[in-house]
Amino acid sequence: MGVFTPTALLSLPGWGSFLLTVLTIAGIYSLLTLGLNIHYGYTGLINFGHVAFFAAGAYTAALLTVPPPAQVSGAEYVFGLNLPMPLGLPISLVAAAVVGGLLATLIGATSVRLGSHYLAVATFALAGIFGSVLENEAWLTNGSFGLNSVPKPGRAAMSADTWAVAYFVFVVVVLVVVAFVLSRLTGSPFGRLLKGVRESEDAAQMLGKNTIRVKLTSFAIGGAVAGLAGGLYAHYVGSVVVQQFVPAVTFTVWAALLLGGVASNTGAVFGAFLLVGFRESTRFLTNIYDSLLASLPTVAADALRLAVEPLPDHASFVPSLRFVVIGLLIVLVIRYRPEGVFGDPNEIDAIGEED
Amino acid sequence: MVAFVTQFVQTLIYGLIEGSVISVGAVGLTLSYGVTRFINFAYGEFLTYGAYLALFLSGAGLGLSLPLPVATIVAVLVVGAFGVGVSRVFFEPLSDRGPLPLLITSIGVAFILRYALTAAVGVSAKQLPVPLMRPVEVFGVGTTPLRAAVFLVAIATMLLIHVLLTYTMLGKTMRATSGNRNLAEIAGIDTDGVVRRTWFISAGAGALAGVLYAVLFAPFRPTVGFEYLIVIFAATLLGGIGRPYGAMIGAIIVGVAMNLGTTYLSAEYTMAYAFAILVGVLLFKPDGIAGGEI
Amino acid sequence: MSRDSSESDAAAGVTRSDSDAPLLEVDDVVKRFGGLTAIDHASFGVEAESITGLIGPNGAGKSTLFNCVTGMLTPDSGAVRLAGEDVQDLPPNRIAQRGLGRTFQTPKIFRGMSVRENLAFAARGQTGERPISALVRPGTVGSEEADIRERVDDTLAFLSLDHLAEEYASGLSGGQRKLLELGRVLMLDPEIILLDEPMAGVNPSLADDLLDRLHELNDRGRTILLIEHDMDLVMNHCDRVVVLHNGQTLASGPPSIVQEDERVVEAYLGGFENA
Repeated sequence: MGVFTPTALLSLPGWGSFLLTVLTIAGIYSLLTLGLNIHYGYTGLINFGHVAFFAAGAYTAALLTVPPPAQVSGAEYVFGLNLPMPLGLPISLVAAAVVGGLLATLIGATSVRLGSHYLAVATFALAGIFGSVLENEAWLTNGSFGLNSVPKPGRAAMSADTWAVAYFVFVVVVLVVVAFVLSRLTGSPFGRLLKGVRESEDAAQMLGKNTIRVKLTSFAIGGAVAGLAGGLYAHYVGSVVVQQFVPAVTFTVWAALLLGGVASNTGAVFGAFLLVGFRESTRFLTNIYDSLLASLPTVAADALRLAVEPLPDHASFVPSLRFVVIGLLIVLVIRYRPEGVFGDPNEIDAIGEED
Repeated sequence: MVAFVTQFVQTLIYGLIEGSVISVGAVGLTLSYGVTRFINFAYGEFLTYGAYLALFLSGAGLGLSLPLPVATIVAVLVVGAFGVGVSRVFFEPLSDRGPLPLLITSIGVAFILRYALTAAVGVSAKQLPVPLMRPVEVFGVGTTPLRAAVFLVAIATMLLIHVLLTYTMLGKTMRATSGNRNLAEIAGIDTDGVVRRTWFISAGAGALAGVLYAVLFAPFRPTVGFEYLIVIFAATLLGGIGRPYGAMIGAIIVGVAMNLGTTYLSAEYTMAYAFAILVGVLLFKPDGIAGGEI
Repeated sequence: MSRDSSESDAAAGVTRSDSDAPLLEVDDVVKRFGGLTAIDHASFGVEAESITGLIGPNGAGKSTLFNCVTGMLTPDSGAVRLAGEDVQDLPPNRIAQRGLGRTFQTPKIFRGMSVRENLAFAARGQTGERPISALVRPGTVGSEEADIRERVDDTLAFLSLDHLAEEYASGLSGGQRKLLELGRVLMLDPEIILLDEPMAGVNPSLADDLLDRLHELNDRGRTILLIEHDMDLVMNHCDRVVVLHNGQTLASGPPSIVQEDERVVEAYLGGFENA
């Protein structure tokens, strides 16, 4: 699939840097999941277009910091603001969050009046439109070639491994701050307002609350967090390409949220780490297989080879199974443990029901 | 001026043909919505499975080389039965838990089906064994006999479903169950049986739409159904979800609009026109063009 | 509770300057669904500080009328006036903010929240409902929350729900849910309370309690409009009765007079005997 992680980083030597890559991506996905948790977990909004806010943040950060097209060979895009690093990083990330939040508000404004199922279809479709705009408006996004010179802040000043550690720490700090702020919010009267809208929009309206505004605010906050995640991702990977932002991202985040537990910020982070850990570690199944073959005694190696032989032999076999597992996870969690690992079964009792 | 008219009429014809294919899928989706009451994001996989099964039966992989029409009929029946199986394994156990768990489960099911197929066959593009044909043209406007056949099969399917809904006992019980499941049950209708048969028809129609799509727009990959799902959603919602005749009209409109947009606005945004129609319907007419009762 | 009632009395003194006009006025309201006319030129008034009963056979349009009055539906024509001002085009939350609270026939409680949270939700003018304020003004939010908590405790005690304060609302019985919904409306502190079948499904001893509470609220100056099927209850406890039939107001006035009205007897009370 090659959708999620930069293979360039994986080629760094040693288990340590691989683990660091996984943890950094997991931290970024934790932000995505926290954002979706505001939408679905706390407000009951079925957002099937989350990847659009992630992409909006990533492209914003990229466009603010890539060099102007004149300095890049084969560039189709017409501007890159080339903000200096690392001082431009806060600006880039704030802008990513703002644009993610704005896009979410815009998408929300068009569809927030819809019932939950139509909202699911509308967000899915709008994210699809956004995706085709990113792909086709090459003057802005460089089309399907992507923007591949997004600066890695501070990278010039240190070794690759050091930078990986430093950026991981940075992601963790951002995650902790965001998680803290969101916990404060969800524990405040504002959080109570979100939950009330989730439980019964009619009742909330009849108690004088402007539920449309509440839902839009929820959209904006969750979208901003996802946009921030996009900014962090762009500066970590160093390139932004449309193929990174497919619906599978949205539903991976959904799986993480459902598994960790809706309406639980702890659950959201836990689910993201578990899911990303699973997804990344299975990238090495084939390597493990090869090294097993090399190290096992001949008889055992032959037996193993024989056992594996009936399986299809093509590059997308293992990546596909990964998504089969993610699909199964969604199905099983919903059926057997709808509250997830950290959720409260009482809280999800009424989620997503129409009045 | 003549060139313009020719191109316009030609675009309309392509739109009608594509619309007829969409309508097969849209009717299938809307029928199952009628009795299950959730929007099934796994529906696109029935299209994919139909196309691939027809492919295997008619040439690739299994050592069979059935004529395509025969392969299509077998694929429709097998995928129909498969749809019943999918509903029993994944959806029926949740039927008393309200629509939301079903909706989310359908996402999981879509992933399982699509990527299990991808794991088995890979992502390389495949093509049904259909002959290249020269278009038959009148006044510079026309289409290939193959495309005409696709259109006729789709129209025949619509007629068949019309007859089924209007004149058969199954159709009447389907409509009763769709209108009010509890009431239908009290009236002595075996609603579980109706739901099963509806899944069969719905999944079978999906499979047929998948084959027809693959004939029109070869080559295809395992993501074909999921990518086309949004087009089917657009047609279904435009016609008012749960209403087969609305879905047919919606499908024609979506098909024509997509082709007009591709010809006259920008060729890159084919799917986006369907998205835009979908969003427009949701915003301005969530009940669909026919409005009112569902 | 005493603190709230004095507040609302003060508020009432201001808004009810024109003492002749009813607090709530339904003026020639029409609501159609497709070909069906659910409300057909209905007109009546609810006097301030009264307990008014809205009665009528099933399908008479009572709940639809409630929805028109509360802004959940917009009338096709006609006017709804609250304290003399047109509100028929306002959204429900704006009408609620003007001092109208309602309950639903099937209570719409927040099932996934505790009983206490359900009530706290309804308090008006919460600074902490704005996300920025919730983050940057912890002092204000904290002291407001303390006040709200006190009011919640008072309200729970008033409704004898205090022992359930920390329970999830999903665990409440049908009758308790009705009480919870009433409690939530009281937290909104409205001038007029619309109750959709408040006694239905409530066990008799609880129902008596509930009636006492309604009278107590009425004594403190709250106006009450309720839909009820129990004729004895309506005749014994309401100051005025409005009879709705086929979406039209058939009669309105004191129970004793309405009871004698021939059209009412024929259309409604007679209908009951036949049923």
